[in-house]
Amino acid sequence: MDRKQAQSLLDEILEMPHPGELQVALQGVNRLGTRFNDCAISQNALRKQVNLTLVARLEQKRTSLVINTPDDRDAIRQGIDRLFATCAHMPDDEEVMPVPGQQLDSPEHAYSAESEDLEIETIGAWAAKACETGVAAGVDLAGLLSLGKIFSAYGDSAGGFAFERSHQCDFHVTATGADGSGWAENQGVTIRQPEVLAATRRAIDKCLSAQRPEVFQPRPTTVVLEPQAVGDLLSSAFWYGFDQRAADEGRSAFSDFDKRLGRLSLYSDPADPVNPSNSFNGDGQALARVLWLDRGELQQLRTSRFWAGHKELNPKPSPNNLILDGDGHSLEELIAGTEDGVLVTRFWYIRSTDAKTLSFTGMTRDGTYRIENGEITRPLVDMRWNESALRVLENVVASGKPVATGEYLAMAMPALKVADFHFSSLSGR
Amino acid sequence: MFDLLREACRTADLAGCQFADARYLEIRRQRVSSRDHALSGCSESDDRGFGVRVLYRGAWGFASSPGSDAAEITRVVELAMRIARVSALAARIGGVQWAAEEALQKRFLSPCEIDPFEVALEEKAELLLSANAVMLKNDSVKRAQGYLLFKRVRRWYVNTDGAELHSDVTSSEAVISAIAVGAHDFQERNWQAPSSSRGYESFSEAEFLHQAERVADQAEEKLSAKLAPEGVYDIVTDAENLALTIHESVGHATELDRVMGYEVSMAGGSFVTRDKLGQFRYGSDAVTLVADNTLDGGLATQGFDDDGVPGQRWNIVADGIFQAYSTGREFAHYAGEERSRGCSRADHWSSIPIVRIPNLFLQAGKAPLDPAELMSDVRRGIYFEGMDSFSIDQWRLNFQFGGNAVWEIKNGKKAGMLKAALYQSQTPDFWNACDATCDERYWSAHGVMNCGKGDPMQVAQMTHGAAPTRFRNIRICRGRD
Repeated sequence: MDRKQAQSLLDEILEMPHPGELQVALQGVNRLGTRFNDCAISQNALRKQVNLTLVARLEQKRTSLVINTPDDRDAIRQGIDRLFATCAHMPDDEEVMPVPGQQLDSPEHAYSAESEDLEIETIGAWAAKACETGVAAGVDLAGLLSLGKIFSAYGDSAGGFAFERSHQCDFHVTATGADGSGWAENQGVTIRQPEVLAATRRAIDKCLSAQRPEVFQPRPTTVVLEPQAVGDLLSSAFWYGFDQRAADEGRSAFSDFDKRLGRLSLYSDPADPVNPSNSFNGDGQALARVLWLDRGELQQLRTSRFWAGHKELNPKPSPNNLILDGDGHSLEELIAGTEDGVLVTRFWYIRSTDAKTLSFTGMTRDGTYRIENGEITRPLVDMRWNESALRVLENVVASGKPVATGEYLAMAMPALKVADFHFSSLSGR
Repeated sequence: MFDLLREACRTADLAGCQFADARYLEIRRQRVSSRDHALSGCSESDDRGFGVRVLYRGAWGFASSPGSDAAEITRVVELAMRIARVSALAARIGGVQWAAEEALQKRFLSPCEIDPFEVALEEKAELLLSANAVMLKNDSVKRAQGYLLFKRVRRWYVNTDGAELHSDVTSSEAVISAIAVGAHDFQERNWQAPSSSRGYESFSEAEFLHQAERVADQAEEKLSAKLAPEGVYDIVTDAENLALTIHESVGHATELDRVMGYEVSMAGGSFVTRDKLGQFRYGSDAVTLVADNTLDGGLATQGFDDDGVPGQRWNIVADGIFQAYSTGREFAHYAGEERSRGCSRADHWSSIPIVRIPNLFLQAGKAPLDPAELMSDVRRGIYFEGMDSFSIDQWRLNFQFGGNAVWEIKNGKKAGMLKAALYQSQTPDFWNACDATCDERYWSAHGVMNCGKGDPMQVAQMTHGAAPTRFRNIRICRGRD
């Protein structure tokens, strides 16, 4: 759906009779995905969905309905009637805010004409070529090559409107040998075959160097975390901890917090050149560049419109991407500068263990290596760790250059060299 | 609806497919949530569409659409065929081995005495807000919240074998929680109503109010609890806590697609390799783990799976010995079996079915044993209640779990509450350390509502049951320094 079609549909819906205020969000996703394992394509699918979200606001009451038949005008009319009828049965909620009513620009930072032209045959052929590379290298390859073609539109009864198209490309691949594995990814708004094959090669090389892993007795040690590991940990920390209201109400690691968190800056920016994002959210709010940490100093936390009004702050909606700057060192430089440590390719199954200290647990996976005297000397058995994300930021010794990563949120993360990282137990394999 | 799905299968059959199936789903959800004295949300969704899966020249193709007219069916079948041709570029050697299954024509309706979608919003609001009011009576509780979630999935399934199946499954879920805030700490305690494939009759206001008071008191108690010790202790788990441990360390570990490497790039593999079938000592003699997709009210009880295979019951572990995997029709042959165990499920009409954990439970002890007797034999131990932090490695070996409320056990009795306690073990070590489980009077079932697997991720639900159970000499660590 293009901008004109989306605006026409939203206008028509907003003109349907209704009391109170109405918000309409429309999101269409056309996702191609080729999944493979054991160097063969195991699943191959095209998922096409359009979801229409209707939000009714009547005085201090709010209800919502999602339907996936935007062409069915009767269903939409009935949905609107149902929502406002439901509102009548809701108790008041003082936190219900009026619709934003903002006309927003459509910069489309995450749109790629090149990606728009990609078809399932091309994606499938690239995945098949990656599989051939795995066969030639004598490893099992498993992974996913996916491309999402997305449009998002928003309109409200106060005149608000926004529209943007975007693309999400993701290739991640695991190479597995007899007793070790390697992993690599390539993310962004577009992807090309050489990038697919380069990531495949990286995973294979990691796998080949991960065979016959040795035991490193878990203990606090210096680690070099590759970008996926950094992103996995920081995204968990961001969603668990970076909330202004929870901090103000004593329900956060940031309640009465006055520490400096190292010297790196954490920010969100839809126009980020490494991993851009949409520039508005489903509530019709613009997403501008926001600095969360400025050289380690906490600047602000996510703040809802209600809480911002209550505390006389500026609203800071949840972002669509997260970027941690870095010192610009290469991964090789970080390794070379480490006398005694562990290189971590990837984290897995991160879960909170204590919200007050923003502590988490997780496992290393798919390429963990010993670093001695500035060199990778041997592969290691995977380890569990228990660590505070705040302490990780405080203990950053050196860092790399941000690269695109992120499973659920677009991120640009550098590799980090972190002192005193707490490994706690060994994987049993 | 069957006519359209028949047409899809007929079109695929004429095009030369080895096998094809078509599913049409109507999915309705309602979520009502509360924050302190307000309803913070009432959101609903109506979602419908169909997916067509074709097996062509040994390779899969899948396409889906929210439409449902004949022209759209034809377009989607052709698209699925086009995708299958792409898959054939790197087809598995020997192609997909698809287990035979009797073509059934059946209907399945989950038990639902009170349709949750017909219950007035005021009644749901009253349930949540009265529970919140009870929790907020405790001065330490600064945030009380909860939600009710109802889902109805109506499914029509047809395949080229001739199966024609229909199911109508309603499920209900509820959680309330209290967050207590002190001068230098905050702690959360929750209660999850036992989720099930049942209707609104699952909930009672009296139970909500009782649990609200307990949850608030324990949230306050957690604030002043001492930090958990570290070391080796005997542990006792309640049924809800063990439900998640069963899920992670047995349910996922014995999915045969994981064992065969189909999930290795995301959800991971499994240490339960095929050489262990019928001989591996998974646990002690006290450990019998039963899969049952016919369990009344079980979240994975759907009549039949998304390969057209009826729900079944079988032992995954019997008297400690590993017996069988969970499979779908694509995977049965890897275990040397002719028939699927009926575990292939998709979470949406636009999702491809994958092997999912069945309803899975630890069989209750045969000898009479109550929780007090179970604990009486623990001199120095920890008691874990409810689900909390959980993490396990990609081979399903090294795990670390917490509890939503944890107490010290001293000389056979529950003593003071602990905070940030975690138990860490390796799966076979843990289950072999099990020396007793209470009898069936204390057995209860609990739902897992957000089981993530697949790539892109799919979310499934299933039920796990257990009675309070004891494990000897388990490592305890802390989630906070």
